[in-house]
Amino acid sequence: MGLRSTRIRGPLAGLVAALVLGGTGLATGCGPRADRITDVGATGGTRVEGGTATMALPPAATPNWIFPIGAPGYLATYNSSIQSLLYLPLYQPEQKGDELSLDSPRNLAEQPRYSDGNKTVTVTLKQGYRWSDGKPVTTRDVEFWFDLIKHNKAEWGGYSPKLLPDNVKRFQTLDDRTFRLRLDRAYNPAWFTANQLLYFTPLPRHAWNPDDEDPKKVFARLTQHAKKLSAFATDPLWKTVNGPWKIRQWATSGQVALEPNTRYSGPDRPHLDRVVFKPFTTADSEFNVLRSGGVDYGYIPPSVMAQSKKFQEMGYRVDPWEGWAITYLVLNFNHPTAGPLLRQTYLRQALQLLIDQRAISKVIWHGSADPTRGPVPASLLAKDPYPYDPAAAKRLLAAHGWKARDGGTLRCVRPGTGGDACGKGIEEGQPLKLSLLSQSGSTESSNQMQEIKSSYDKAGITLDVRQQPLNTVLGTTVPCERTEPLCKAWQLGFFGTAGSWYFPPDPSGEQLFATGAPSNMGNWSDPRTDELIKDTEYSGDPAAMRRYGEYVARKVPVLWTPNPAYQVSVIRNDLRGVDQNPTLSLAPQDWYFVKKGAGRK
Amino acid sequence: MTATAAGAPAADETAVPTPSLARRTLAVFTRNKLALAGAVVLVALSAFCFLGPLFHPTDQVHTDLGQANLAPGSPGHPLGTTDLGYDMLGRLMTGGRTSLEVGLAAGLLATFIGTVYGSVAGYFGGWLDAAMMRITDAALAIPALFLLVVVAAIVTPSKPVLILIIASVAWLSPARLIRGEALALRSRDYIHAMRLMGGGGARAVFRHIVPNAIGTVVVNATFQIADAILYVAYLSFLGLSIPPPAADWGSMLSAGITYTQVGYWWLIFPPGIAIVLVVAAFNFIGDGLRDAFDVRLQKSGGNR
Repeated sequence: MGLRSTRIRGPLAGLVAALVLGGTGLATGCGPRADRITDVGATGGTRVEGGTATMALPPAATPNWIFPIGAPGYLATYNSSIQSLLYLPLYQPEQKGDELSLDSPRNLAEQPRYSDGNKTVTVTLKQGYRWSDGKPVTTRDVEFWFDLIKHNKAEWGGYSPKLLPDNVKRFQTLDDRTFRLRLDRAYNPAWFTANQLLYFTPLPRHAWNPDDEDPKKVFARLTQHAKKLSAFATDPLWKTVNGPWKIRQWATSGQVALEPNTRYSGPDRPHLDRVVFKPFTTADSEFNVLRSGGVDYGYIPPSVMAQSKKFQEMGYRVDPWEGWAITYLVLNFNHPTAGPLLRQTYLRQALQLLIDQRAISKVIWHGSADPTRGPVPASLLAKDPYPYDPAAAKRLLAAHGWKARDGGTLRCVRPGTGGDACGKGIEEGQPLKLSLLSQSGSTESSNQMQEIKSSYDKAGITLDVRQQPLNTVLGTTVPCERTEPLCKAWQLGFFGTAGSWYFPPDPSGEQLFATGAPSNMGNWSDPRTDELIKDTEYSGDPAAMRRYGEYVARKVPVLWTPNPAYQVSVIRNDLRGVDQNPTLSLAPQDWYFVKKGAGRK
Repeated sequence: MTATAAGAPAADETAVPTPSLARRTLAVFTRNKLALAGAVVLVALSAFCFLGPLFHPTDQVHTDLGQANLAPGSPGHPLGTTDLGYDMLGRLMTGGRTSLEVGLAAGLLATFIGTVYGSVAGYFGGWLDAAMMRITDAALAIPALFLLVVVAAIVTPSKPVLILIIASVAWLSPARLIRGEALALRSRDYIHAMRLMGGGGARAVFRHIVPNAIGTVVVNATFQIADAILYVAYLSFLGLSIPPPAADWGSMLSAGITYTQVGYWWLIFPPGIAIVLVVAAFNFIGDGLRDAFDVRLQKSGGNR
């Protein structure tokens, strides 16, 4: 979750899913013509069982990891999305209204029960779940997963110090279906379920570790198998699954084909005969295939949103896939010269007031982005605390001693720490000049930065924008100490073309805005923020998240910018049941084709 | 004038003064209709880029999202607007300045470096020539676009940086060309005479070799400028141009391509046509100058 997966996904610029429809028994794998059904809708229609669906992968994305414990470097979303179709996690997030819920019928376990002042959690597996070889899914399988990550945490890409498995003192197996976790302290149940229990994934102990080997040894063996990409479809190890799908093909080129697991015992049995995840080297190649009707569930660049009617006429529906994410410009508070400027709350507020998020979302992102309001997804905050107001920004700056000479860049004329002064560390005559390191390769991001630069320039703030490839930006905008040379390399940073930060279901900020947090790139440090984050993590107060969201939104530790859709999806009208989950998980078992001609206008 | 020179009666030849070299060159040049057309187009484009903003002033620094993507013919925007609300006609003028300035400067710089390098190698010969030419061969073996992209990715491009980057790969061709000229010229009698009188290598290169190869140098310079303008377009198209809000025709074309599917033709055709026109103009001028510097054509009055 979080930035890690975003960073991997970022350069891939959007997941594409394309479904190649095939009528039942069609050897060609081709489905009904896309223009047969012209009504637009995600659900409904007369369901036809069977068919082959092909989902296109992000540009240059190659699924390369099947083992559900992701090694560092193999945490891409497309890997975990496919894994969870084969190996069911205990809990899966589901969108309910504006919020995400973990109370899904897909869950492998009943809702967790917290006791002992929220220091103990008891989980009961649902009845009837079996592995594809007929063996039941038991708590031993969950314990097997836990032992693997506990003894190999350095090799687990999802490990963060103090979180799983460090925060579980003891794993107790009560019976075949019930286990209990003794935690190192009391946690907010909502947070622990959403951000910790979500990782728990039973693994087939009987098939993968029949001789009860040492967890380190068995982990090494499994990892060795997981690196043999060409053998994923044939290795007997990966044939024991408990999810709705099993592997049919896993090509080294990146094409993955899944077919229904006939012994799947969950409530959501697949309707299709096959689902294919198809790789594309570039977004252009995917777009060309999409236009030629070769994919059923694809994506288009935001700039083509204006042509959505054309796609509708071709028999597709256009549906931006909105992520559970926020997007922002990171501010380097430890930069030697820009740091003192950025540490002034009024200045950050003025910078925020000058970003016209609504216009940028509408014009530059063509409606495929929404304003970010604060440190949690926008739907969780009632209002934007700093809507675009250049006049208010100018007043704020003037009130704190900033004045332009000859209409140029603003300069500090009242240094000092008083209420009407520029602030601590700012010298008399210091210009209000900042530089931004932004990711290249996206017309929308580039235009967004031009718009912000233009808006700042009108207010007397000089913003130099430098564009570099994403990996360069990610390698530069890292937490740093004031004395480190790297800290001088950047003042503001942007790596959010596909969203800056994707949240786990509970959008808490312990990895993002807490002092010293691993993804606190700008070195934001504020005791009150830390206190509020701890409340979301440890207390059971349901209002804690709102308090945290509202406070940090007002403090502007980063500059909020429009949050783009993960991708602008284009889906064939006769393919129904596609739910674009904000956490980017997939559920092709819900997809189905509708009868030809059904629902025709 | 040329007609007079060509068609005058033999009896009057002594009475008609022989036209100067410049006049003969101009005469042959003006006979080449394509070259003349190229010159006219170049003058027109230069006037459009450098004088145009006086008649059609626009703000090419600040965006105006309220005016984004307006079609040609919209009030105040004869060529429409860009996706950030910049007036397209005004941006074409501003972008053209960058393309012409950088192309011209980079082409001339590459020609200057190549001329000096090639003259020195050709005149001195021997091991120095061998070493200098192997360096040139090695550099020519690396695709120019690859070098440009690598260098442009390392440094943040600005006009001077772009000029240096392009000139640093474009000087190789003129160097080889002029070296060939120098090899032929160094065995001429007047060079020997100069050396017998105590003239040094520098004098030979700058006072004799380069001036006598000037025809080749000038012709090559026009092609170098055309190539440099294309290089600017390549780099810009790949997103390695001068950072916005500055623009050039290549970056405008690159930005416009995004909207191909949407049908915003006015973002694509104007910069594309401008690039084609200016490159073709320089090539036609180069062809015309080559003919004009050809002594045989001057003698025959431009008739081949």
